Amino acid sequence: MGMSWARAFAASGPPPVFAAIGAGGLQRAEELHGTLRLQRSPRQAAILLVLGEIAPDLLPFLQRLHDHLPHPRATIWHRATPPGDWTDPVQATADGLERTLTDLWRSILSGDRASEPDFLPDKPPNEWRGVGPHGQGGKGMMGGTPYGRPMAMTDDDLRDGLSLDAYSAPFGPFLPMLPPGLILDLTLQGDVIQSATATRPPCPQPGSDDRPGDAIARLMRVMDMPALALRRTRDGLPPAMGIAMLRRAIPDGLGRARDGTDVRDRLDRWRDKDAPQADDGTRLSDLLPGLEWHEAMIVLNSFQPDRIRAICARSGPEGGDEDDKDGNRDAPAHAPPDHGGHQHHDMTGPAA
Amino acid sequence: MSLIVGLPALLALLLIGLWAAAALDTAIGRLIVGRPVGMAATDPLRAVVADYLRQRTDTEAPDHLNWLLAPGYYFLLAVVGLALVPFAPDQSLIALDTSVVLWGAAEAVVVVAVFLHGWSPNAPFPLIGAYRYVAIGLPVMLLSMFVLIAASIPAQSLDLRAVVESQRGLWNVIRQPLGLPLFLAVVMSLTLRGPFDYADSADLAGGTSAEDGGPRWIAWQTARAAMLVAACAIAATAFLGGYLGPVLPGWLWLSLKTLAVMVAVVLLTHLVPRMPVARMLTLIWIVLLPIAFLDLLIAGLGAL
Repeated sequence: MGMSWARAFAASGPPPVFAAIGAGGLQRAEELHGTLRLQRSPRQAAILLVLGEIAPDLLPFLQRLHDHLPHPRATIWHRATPPGDWTDPVQATADGLERTLTDLWRSILSGDRASEPDFLPDKPPNEWRGVGPHGQGGKGMMGGTPYGRPMAMTDDDLRDGLSLDAYSAPFGPFLPMLPPGLILDLTLQGDVIQSATATRPPCPQPGSDDRPGDAIARLMRVMDMPALALRRTRDGLPPAMGIAMLRRAIPDGLGRARDGTDVRDRLDRWRDKDAPQADDGTRLSDLLPGLEWHEAMIVLNSFQPDRIRAICARSGPEGGDEDDKDGNRDAPAHAPPDHGGHQHHDMTGPAA
Repeated sequence: MSLIVGLPALLALLLIGLWAAAALDTAIGRLIVGRPVGMAATDPLRAVVADYLRQRTDTEAPDHLNWLLAPGYYFLLAVVGLALVPFAPDQSLIALDTSVVLWGAAEAVVVVAVFLHGWSPNAPFPLIGAYRYVAIGLPVMLLSMFVLIAASIPAQSLDLRAVVESQRGLWNVIRQPLGLPLFLAVVMSLTLRGPFDYADSADLAGGTSAEDGGPRWIAWQTARAAMLVAACAIAATAFLGGYLGPVLPGWLWLSLKTLAVMVAVVLLTHLVPRMPVARMLTLIWIVLLPIAFLDLLIAGLGAL
């Protein structure tokens, strides 16, 4: 092999993996959290694990994600079909995954397998259209669209009237804390969400809805309890003490859907293994505006895959206008009046 | 204590501390999952070597200088903290009769180092993590100030050497039972851990370190672990009698106590969820700060 001792030593450890989850890959990802070293950011991974089928519209995003991994890097397709033009794809079967991973990790570290080159040119995606040497735009610090991204401008504030800069950007589809496949168009002020539309709904995850243990584990992971999230008691759920702590950390009344349930209620239903709730017509605009980033991630992870898919499917760019006409933006239609929540979590929508 | 002997000794101890921190984190994580501990002692080393061999990634238009320097600031603050810790009567690398104040200043500058680390990559998640950390950092520093002043009252001095000597009869952890638990919260905040990790958290895909790859990642994680060693050593000194103890040499007692605090911090990291920012701010201002006042009151009444 001709590996230096340092490379051989590094290769004897578990490979750092980033999982890009497609259709039907979520359940398998939960199993793999226990055995693989799954990283939170592609920057800390050497192997891109494509898990589940990637729809054609997600391929450009997958290529961009691929280019985020530092060299040397490689891609493994597991329960997924690589597109025809992907050079020399590595595919792994269900029981051969770990072996394929370690072999690949060893061969890219030793140089036996060349690191995969970039798909995209390493330059800004748009032309420079700002003014001034630092993209400060038109007048003073305002205006201009440097590299195709408009400069953030001050905007009315949902919460405290500070009129901070509003910043719009797409988030997803492979962020580990979002439902896989979801692309969210968010306008943020600081980390407070002003508006949210789903430009693409999450991928379908058949069979994931009747796994309350996995759903609780995802919520635990977003709130940084990754070890407890992996532990399962005999009833298939994480330890009851951990769930109780989790419940206490979640504000009362957070993420109230149109059927009146909040995050805590949905967590209780998972804990008691109640049947998944029927769809109630909730939209992202009922849930996210006014929330801080951390709260928003908790809310998005408090729905089963099918339900969040339905919520996002009707929260697209067109759905938003309809929503305004309904006049339903301010409060969930069926919220009981006595559940205002804490003062500092008063999450009504924007005053129209 | 001459610097020529002291500084290499301190760095050697820090190196052992770094390794212990990484191994403890891995081992306790695996124990909680219910998996065999396996190679927890060497797996972090393998990961470090692997990252060192990998590419240093950049973002579009980052603040190169501060991105490079932020882990350095963070590490240096940890070294300063460790140098203030007395390891034998009247022996510490930085002999200062206001060492508690210097540590307080180092804690405050940690907020700046973490902010710079989130600012530099020119990316949304690191920046959100940076701002959030500043918002939580301020009240946490107040907590730290109150409990450390309370720990200094029995010594009638802001010198950590005197604080240790004042615990010859009774350790502060018994005299002021509220101090150490509150200081553990400060340690978790200073080291970006678990319930107080508003900078590098999972909901931001790693926050200020979301864009760190290869050597950058090791540098930041090393600095973070160094701060864990330093803050735990300060906790052992201020509340657990530092180097005091029978039979064994003082530095060994100090190391053992530091390790014990580290185990407690790592356990809390894994077992306690992080609440949303607004809820945490309420908890700190409405619950923890009044408890810190109470701690100060107990210390003051005890001194009368």
